[in-house]
Amino acid sequence: MTRYAKESVPKRQQPLRAACLSLVLLVLGAAGAGAGAGAVAAPQMQAGSALAGPNLERSVKAAYLFKFLGYVEFSGDPGAALNVGVMAADDVAAEVTRLTAGRTVNGRPVTVRTLRDGDPTTGLQMLFVGAGAERPVQTLRNAAQNGVLTVTDDENGLQQGAIINFRLVEDRIRFEVSLPAAERSNLKLSSRLLSVAYHVQKGN
Amino acid sequence: MAPAFCSEPAQPALQADGQSYDIADLSLEQLNNVVITSVSRQEERLANAAASIFIIGAADIRRSGARSLPEALRLAPNLQVARQNARDYSITSRGFNGQFANKLLVLIDGRSIYSPLFSGVLWDAQDVVMDDIDRIEVISGPGATIWGANAVNGVINIITRSAKDTQGGLATASAGNRDRDATVRYGGTLQSGGHYRVYGRVVDIDDAERAAGMNDGTGLRRRQAGFRADWDRPLGGLTVSGDIYAADLAQPGRADAALSGANLIARVTRKLTDDSDLRVQLVLDHVERNQPLAFIERLDVVDLDAQHSLRVGGRHNITWGGGYRYAQDRLTPSLVYGFIPADRSLHWGSLFAQDEWSLRDDLRLTVGAKVEHNNYTGAEYLPNVRLAWQPGPTQLLWTSLSRTVRAPSRYDRDYRSPATPVIVGNVPRYGIGGGPDFQSETARVAELGYRIQPAPAWSYSATLFYADYDRLRTQEPNVNGPAYSGLRQVANGAAGTNRGIEMWARWQAMPSWRLNGGLTLQRVRTHLKEGSGDSGGVLGVATSDPNHQWQLRSSHDLPRDMQLDWTLRYTGALVRPAVPSYYELDAQWLWKARRNIDVALIGQNLLHPYHAEFGAAPGRSVVQRSVVLKLTVRF
Repeated sequence: MTRYAKESVPKRQQPLRAACLSLVLLVLGAAGAGAGAGAVAAPQMQAGSALAGPNLERSVKAAYLFKFLGYVEFSGDPGAALNVGVMAADDVAAEVTRLTAGRTVNGRPVTVRTLRDGDPTTGLQMLFVGAGAERPVQTLRNAAQNGVLTVTDDENGLQQGAIINFRLVEDRIRFEVSLPAAERSNLKLSSRLLSVAYHVQKGN
Repeated sequence: MAPAFCSEPAQPALQADGQSYDIADLSLEQLNNVVITSVSRQEERLANAAASIFIIGAADIRRSGARSLPEALRLAPNLQVARQNARDYSITSRGFNGQFANKLLVLIDGRSIYSPLFSGVLWDAQDVVMDDIDRIEVISGPGATIWGANAVNGVINIITRSAKDTQGGLATASAGNRDRDATVRYGGTLQSGGHYRVYGRVVDIDDAERAAGMNDGTGLRRRQAGFRADWDRPLGGLTVSGDIYAADLAQPGRADAALSGANLIARVTRKLTDDSDLRVQLVLDHVERNQPLAFIERLDVVDLDAQHSLRVGGRHNITWGGGYRYAQDRLTPSLVYGFIPADRSLHWGSLFAQDEWSLRDDLRLTVGAKVEHNNYTGAEYLPNVRLAWQPGPTQLLWTSLSRTVRAPSRYDRDYRSPATPVIVGNVPRYGIGGGPDFQSETARVAELGYRIQPAPAWSYSATLFYADYDRLRTQEPNVNGPAYSGLRQVANGAAGTNRGIEMWARWQAMPSWRLNGGLTLQRVRTHLKEGSGDSGGVLGVATSDPNHQWQLRSSHDLPRDMQLDWTLRYTGALVRPAVPSYYELDAQWLWKARRNIDVALIGQNLLHPYHAEFGAAPGRSVVQRSVVLKLTVRF
């Protein structure tokens, strides 16, 4: 998983990508149909444990968090671990820990730690703030000052200052991105990430 | 494997044999397309609300095949929905249903849609693009401290999606043997950085039939258009939305009656600090109804509302606010009855405060009160206290005590029938008149509720309630001599109780199959107070409430992008007017033919050619079996 390109994908490759994506989806769909379930086939294949509902949602968010790390240019020692903080979402923290075990992003290992309200955000590359966080605005402001990639799970996440926010759109977990917030944290997001985002908030 | 051809780097082999699969190996695009079938996020957030709340999610509505608000409300097990005829519904929670049910408050995006004529909702004037609904929160039990008088037995909050979430085009068309409708909606971005959507919608509902077989003349043809725009700003946002509509209401043996209206909502939210939020909302609403057999009314409403929440010392969540509502109601006597004075300005002013106090990490006490002032009875005091114990993250035990009122409507005070009275010695003598002394109906309510999610795949909720009603509306013979408004007057001659239980459960039986069940058992008992001479018991003394109702809903994801949903529902018999109990079945088969095209075949009331839900035989209308084909295209 170390070969994800940080840079944007050239425009001319888009049609090919789309074609490949539909091919992948077709295969996924066929596999799903074979398993007796279309779009929810993924968890069924997970080592026999038929995960339903909330677990899948949690897993998808955790997988996104892991993926986001590969589409952002983080400064600092290129060999050091990427530190991920998770606040007010212990279940997501556990899932990210599980997913990232034994995996690296651009050659860097990933560490996960859970944060409590008021804990410092220094040393983090990414912070996920769950919907139940007590003081999201203060936490996000603090994280921005430390150049942390912030991700929230709240209808008003971007308004509160997050860079990336999860949204539930037509039964799917999508994410939206705020470019002004990324600028404030001096983070450069790849255009590939932006092209997949459900919505990109530009400066105004 | 297909991924080998892709520019996608290191695409792992997705093996259907299930050995080396992990969700972390999916690409961003694939993650974008994983369908989540869990309970919605709002439900998780509301899981710790100390009230009997049922959420109808957008997916529930889409999968049910409901194409109107009242039909969508059937999905809530804590509501009683009875269709009177083609366009009119009686909807209540916790009893006291009637032709003009008046103990339920309904809001669409924060705009109260109740009629000051009778404190209820005229459902024929309400429509929303069903695909734009984010969720419907149905709260049974009193909500007066937050929402004010009229939220006696429940509150329905219909919440539409932000314009940000309805970008792009949507067109739907459905045609069936009883009704047809078509909608076009388009959403885009504004140069100022905001988002907007605009829509147009037409609905055509055929007349229903009476039990005796003839046409009942209650069909409807409605045209509606509207917009919504949302601007997100750092730490806040602005929402502006509006609708305009006109409808032709069929009349038995006469020309159609006309109904039209328009409304505008502006709402500003602002996060002042981490611990402090402000919300200010202005609503303008105009309705014109020219129904010669019922109301001829022009109503203008201005409603300003502000709410401030703040957290103090980590343990107190304080919400306080105020509102002012002004209505100018202008009536022309219909052929049947009138109102005196014909024109009236109505004012409601309110102030409320509520503190949610964390006594311990797992124990919350909520104490609140509202004072609401109205034209007829002055200040009404609406307190409530709630206690919630959360022994673990997945369960909640709560209890509440509330006092609430239904303030008099124009019907209760100003009504006169017949429209042209007999004049005796220059004094008009009406048959029935509003009561100059009619006071607010009151309710004192106790509730005990429990919610738990024992495993990720299933959850249930149960609420026990007991409500004690006083000063319920009756019609009393006049005893005041000549100084009367009618031979019979509206008065507060009855009292009663309702006790019961509301339960619902969800079970994700398999990843592709979900079951929902709901059950309400209740006993509404009312009696005339000493000295009451009410003979009909037709007004306030509840006789149209089933003792039990239940529903079972199945949602199945089929292979090849198809979904099959069905709902079996049962409603117990109504006493007076007598309506037999009934079972009915609604079903929808949906095929996502293309990524942007859905085809749905919907059947409603499939078990019988027709059944009655409300009213006295043989004149009442019946609900007939219907089959509808619906096409949805996103562009």
